[in-house]
Amino acid sequence: MALSLTVNGDHLASTADPTTPLVDILREELHLTGAKPVCREGFCGACMVLIDGTPRPSCLTPAALADGCEIRTVEGLATQGQLNRIQAALDTSDAVQCGMCFPGMVVSLTHLLATTPDAVREDIRAALTGNICRCTGYERIIDATLLALATK
Amino acid sequence: MSDVAATMDLRRRDAADKLRGRTRYTMDRYLPGMLHAAVLRASVPSGRIVRLDISPAARLPGVRAIVTAADAPGMTGIGIADHPLFARDVIRYDGEPIAAVAANTLAQAQAALAAIEVEIEPLPAALTMADALAPEAPLVHPNWRDYEVLLEGGAREGNVAWEATVVRGDVDAAFARPDVEIVESSFRVGRQNHVAFEPRAVVASYEDGRFHIETSTQVPWGIRNATARLLGVPPSQVRVTVPPVGGGFGLKFDLAIEPFAALLARASGRPVRLVNSREEEMLTCLFRENADIRIRSAVTHEGEIVGREAVVLMDCGAYGGEQIFLTTMTAHTLGGNYRLGSVRLVSRAVYTNTAPNGAFRCCNGVYNTFALERHTDEIAARIGMDPLAFRRLNVLGDGDLGATGQVFEADVLRPMLDRMDTLRDSAAPPPALRDGRLYGRATTVGTWFVFVGPSAATVNMNADGTATLVTSGVEIGSGSMVQSLPQIVASTLGIPPETVIVRAADTDAAGYDVGVGGGRTTVSLGAASLSAAQEVRTKLLKVASEMIEAAPEDLVMRHGRIEIAGAPGSGRTVAEVATYAQARNGPVSGTGAFTGAGVPAMPGCVAGHFIDAIDIPVFAVHDCEVAVDPETGHVEVLNYRVVQDVGRALNPRAIHGQIQGGVVQGLGYALHEEVTIGSNGRVCQSGFETYRVPLALDVVPVEISLYEGAPSMGPLGTKGAGEVPILNVGAAIACAVANATGKRIQELPLTPPRVLELLLDRKPDLALPHIAEAWADNLVRPHKAAQGNM
Repeated sequence: MALSLTVNGDHLASTADPTTPLVDILREELHLTGAKPVCREGFCGACMVLIDGTPRPSCLTPAALADGCEIRTVEGLATQGQLNRIQAALDTSDAVQCGMCFPGMVVSLTHLLATTPDAVREDIRAALTGNICRCTGYERIIDATLLALATK
Repeated sequence: MSDVAATMDLRRRDAADKLRGRTRYTMDRYLPGMLHAAVLRASVPSGRIVRLDISPAARLPGVRAIVTAADAPGMTGIGIADHPLFARDVIRYDGEPIAAVAANTLAQAQAALAAIEVEIEPLPAALTMADALAPEAPLVHPNWRDYEVLLEGGAREGNVAWEATVVRGDVDAAFARPDVEIVESSFRVGRQNHVAFEPRAVVASYEDGRFHIETSTQVPWGIRNATARLLGVPPSQVRVTVPPVGGGFGLKFDLAIEPFAALLARASGRPVRLVNSREEEMLTCLFRENADIRIRSAVTHEGEIVGREAVVLMDCGAYGGEQIFLTTMTAHTLGGNYRLGSVRLVSRAVYTNTAPNGAFRCCNGVYNTFALERHTDEIAARIGMDPLAFRRLNVLGDGDLGATGQVFEADVLRPMLDRMDTLRDSAAPPPALRDGRLYGRATTVGTWFVFVGPSAATVNMNADGTATLVTSGVEIGSGSMVQSLPQIVASTLGIPPETVIVRAADTDAAGYDVGVGGGRTTVSLGAASLSAAQEVRTKLLKVASEMIEAAPEDLVMRHGRIEIAGAPGSGRTVAEVATYAQARNGPVSGTGAFTGAGVPAMPGCVAGHFIDAIDIPVFAVHDCEVAVDPETGHVEVLNYRVVQDVGRALNPRAIHGQIQGGVVQGLGYALHEEVTIGSNGRVCQSGFETYRVPLALDVVPVEISLYEGAPSMGPLGTKGAGEVPILNVGAAIACAVANATGKRIQELPLTPPRVLELLLDRKPDLALPHIAEAWADNLVRPHKAAQGNM
């Protein structure tokens, strides 16, 4: 039976095996390559997507578990071509280096901004536990998040 | 020279797409009709291939091509061509490629791997350098004598892949002086995995009799040339293009999986994508090498270092690769920082039956600086001198000789130490630890260099007033290609940096380049770009002088205009001049080329070196404070400070970002990134669960001061700034932990179990029995006897 997925507002069907990791359907079938399968073990967070509003590593999410859910990938966060608050703050702060971890960072931090508007530095550091970055040493990502929280 | 100040915090043009998930890295590429590839790898560290039968796999559904050693006749390497693409008859490490398959789907390709019949007769293995250097050790390359030598001068024998030596002055006499203390220290470090987030990845096609390789690399020309060697085709038949690279750190400074995809594309007639799995990356990445080091110094009670000798053993794994080159670097890292009355150093790259090692940010420098700085603290303690005073007394200054006899220019390290004093003294003192943890602090110095070498650039002036910069440079994340290079071109032409278009690397479009690494992008590609832009500028000024009726030397280029100096708003726009020039003489362009000048060493000092002296030294001073938990052995970094010699900072904000990131990578190396190799010859850390990289909760904001003004041949006085931040992190942490605990730190990383062992005095002093007592007994060839020939 075909899987029914709603991705960034589009209704899509997939005939993939229900146990296929969601990240592979997003990338290989839908060509949404923003989510990166960096570790495929749920440690790095680079494949994070919002499933019904909650950040989930799409590498550990069998497609069947996302059946009928609202999936939002990093490609669906900038509306009408405008960067969202955290994307804009990361851009302004010159936080990006190689960029591979940022799709996941943006998804996790978009969720943080929405759910914890009064987050302080320590909350942000804790929220990034599931998102690893090998380039930046994190500080600028944390500063950008504080900037985004301050620009409401 | 430029009229417009090049210094600015220019933002990255690639950030918005990276933040939206739109950037297509190599692993994200998808071509019509594309096949998927996988590589069959050996699962023993040493053995003989008795039988290899691919026919059962070739019959499986979806399989389009299978290639093996028969398809790749050539050998490649640095210094020595010792490395075939596939294992031929002999397996030298666990993970060595045996065959590669392309199929319609990745699952089909993997099923085909399982169907390949291979029978391997195990052979004895040398898994450690101690094993490899033992008498009667199994030879990793029994036929080492038969290999093509690509650079003459290195001594080789058996499992010693390459040996480089430095001898300056009479070290024996220095050690025999009655007024000196002899201080001896030994050190051992493990491997470090880059964990670049984008694994090695390639998409290859075969078009019009040529290979087109799209790959995640730092060295497009290196890939072109090495692939051609391995495949036995002319290099001109290989085109390499490079999309944005998702992290390099040196991992992608060497050939990886490109030739597999190239061969499969030719065999199948279809584009082929090959992406390493994370496990493959963990087990076969070209790690920062493990090393064993012994240093001895003869030091007077007044603190003068009259003699120093060292033996550095570097594990190159099964093939020589980068470590052969890196034997050179010991002279400039371990032999760096301090004035030495006399010195002798030997660096040996040692073959073992383990995965080959490679380049990693400040290769060789990171552990040699750790060893040197710990040794320096041990010296200071022995002669009863304050370690900072000892450093201030001995750091290299203007006119001092380096290890290989090169003459250093300007006092740089000493004022940098002063700058660090100011930084430290102006900070609030850390609150006293009231929880029983031990407090320690340390300041360390480090010497690194810019890996200059050939670069080419072309600047095409467009009639609309924009310019297109064409180079073989690659954007690996450091920002050099999207920040410093357009800044340099723009400042020369007086146009906004946003209007300088930067062409992605394509070996069909741009001239030769050594690659993006060794801190050379802004320096070498920058110098070539500057020179190309200056040619364009000269041509434009000549045309403008006719249009404006003013002498070219009276004209300036600024704010998008060519105008008479001192008369803003006069003259014409750059676009008007470019349009007129194009119509009149044809399109305006300029070319530039650069390579290092070649600073001399002292004759006779070096043997087996690729670089005798360093054209552009780069210095760093790091300071850190730690708290050590005596119950658990956990080390917390309380704060971290860096004074870095940058020559001139074109984009201070970007450099700060590199320093924060580089220091954090160094903290991982110093504290918890550990690679071990099991008795089966396999790397034990196969993923993120077992290999612990720094997380957001582990790090501190680094306090940074950029030291400008040291001499540099780099364009506008620049030096490379992205590589060096990792240099003395291991050193600073180790010295601080030693100061906190009063224990002798001889190994990294300082994981809690290792620190706890030290605190409980359960860690025996490090013994390195495979390093001979007498320095000269460590050499396969006496230093002077055979210089320049084998």
